[in-house]
Amino acid sequence: MTRWASAHLDEIGRRDTWITIREHFGVRALGINAFVGAEAGDEIIHAHAEDWHGHEELYVVLEGHATFTVDGDEIDAPARTIVYVREPSARRGAVAKAPGTTILAAGGEPGAAFEPSPYDAAWQWMQRGTEHYRAGRYAEAAAEMRDGLAELPENSALRYNLACYSALAREPEEALAALRQAVEEDPRFAELARSDPDFASLREDPRFTQLVG
Amino acid sequence: MSAAYEVLSLDELDRVPVAEGLEWRPIRRRLGIRSFGTNAYTSERVGGWVVEEHVEGSGHEELYVVVSGRARFTLDGEELDAPAGTIVFLPENDVTRKAVAEEEGTTVLAFGGWPDRPFEPSQWEWYFEASEHEPERAIEIMREGIAELGERGWLLYELARHEARAGRRDHAREHLTKAVELEPRAAERAGGDEHLRELLP
Repeated sequence: MTRWASAHLDEIGRRDTWITIREHFGVRALGINAFVGAEAGDEIIHAHAEDWHGHEELYVVLEGHATFTVDGDEIDAPARTIVYVREPSARRGAVAKAPGTTILAAGGEPGAAFEPSPYDAAWQWMQRGTEHYRAGRYAEAAAEMRDGLAELPENSALRYNLACYSALAREPEEALAALRQAVEEDPRFAELARSDPDFASLREDPRFTQLVG
Repeated sequence: MSAAYEVLSLDELDRVPVAEGLEWRPIRRRLGIRSFGTNAYTSERVGGWVVEEHVEGSGHEELYVVVSGRARFTLDGEELDAPAGTIVFLPENDVTRKAVAEEEGTTVLAFGGWPDRPFEPSQWEWYFEASEHEPERAIEIMREGIAELGERGWLLYELARHEARAGRRDHAREHLTKAVELEPRAAERAGGDEHLRELLP
């Protein structure tokens, strides 16, 4: 590894709105990335909570102007605003109010050494899967997860999403098999599945109930 | 605003003058962040420091983000022009690093932590903050640091220094003795300090 490295944000690779700072530099101590909204109204940070990772997150508006929503509260956030979300369960997201709005995001779990998310490793399949999912092409979304698992057979996040997309595609056998294995790998998936609307078609299936409790 | 989150502007952060025009703008301590270190550094004048010359004695890897203005980094003697939007990453803690402002009001954000173990705050956060206060308030700040991190050599050293400034020589002597036990380099530093040299064990 080199003793130091530098790059301008414009020189770092992007995945959709995501500037992959952590991966670009190989940062190991914390999660750190930036997100861009090209046009006013673009979603920069999709609405999400951090319960799964238990992360506290710090957001800094580097450029432009954003509107954050945290637990339903709207926050006007011009450049140089810091939004610190202490509580992992707080649902947060941000939308651009000005073109080119850029938000730096840093996070980690208090009391634990940082570990990259399995979602990061599987991003390309996740991204294509999400595009199919949003368009209602659930069988194609499931196929993306299968392709990802062929490359990353240990990735439980891909497996959980395969279960979701298979359930939506009305493939209950594949959905239950994938979910069973995901829960074996990480029991937190059972809790997630319990309230995940993607499994609506399986709610009455006793095998699903037995699996998620 | 709820306890779940906080909002503020970089411009509202406290300013703690450090040296050569550098102002430390504490973020981690202000917000109570517990999983990584982060602070801002600004200089209102061209040529002022925005990163003081140092190596990371803590062993942290560090990442700097130039938020506004323009900085000139010197990394192991090599110069780097860093306009706003530049990120500098130092995985090795022993790189000697420094940065000066090339424009007024340059702001640099710093992030740091260990790659393989949980974060804990650095002792210097408390003694940097205490340094700008009168002795009584400085003593309180150092005690807060000890309450959070436990008895550490440099925290006790700075507690002793502020106690000596306040004329509490007995407390200062006791804490300096403990400081030297935990951090032998504190004795050398105390030897050069007008308040502490006579109190050395």
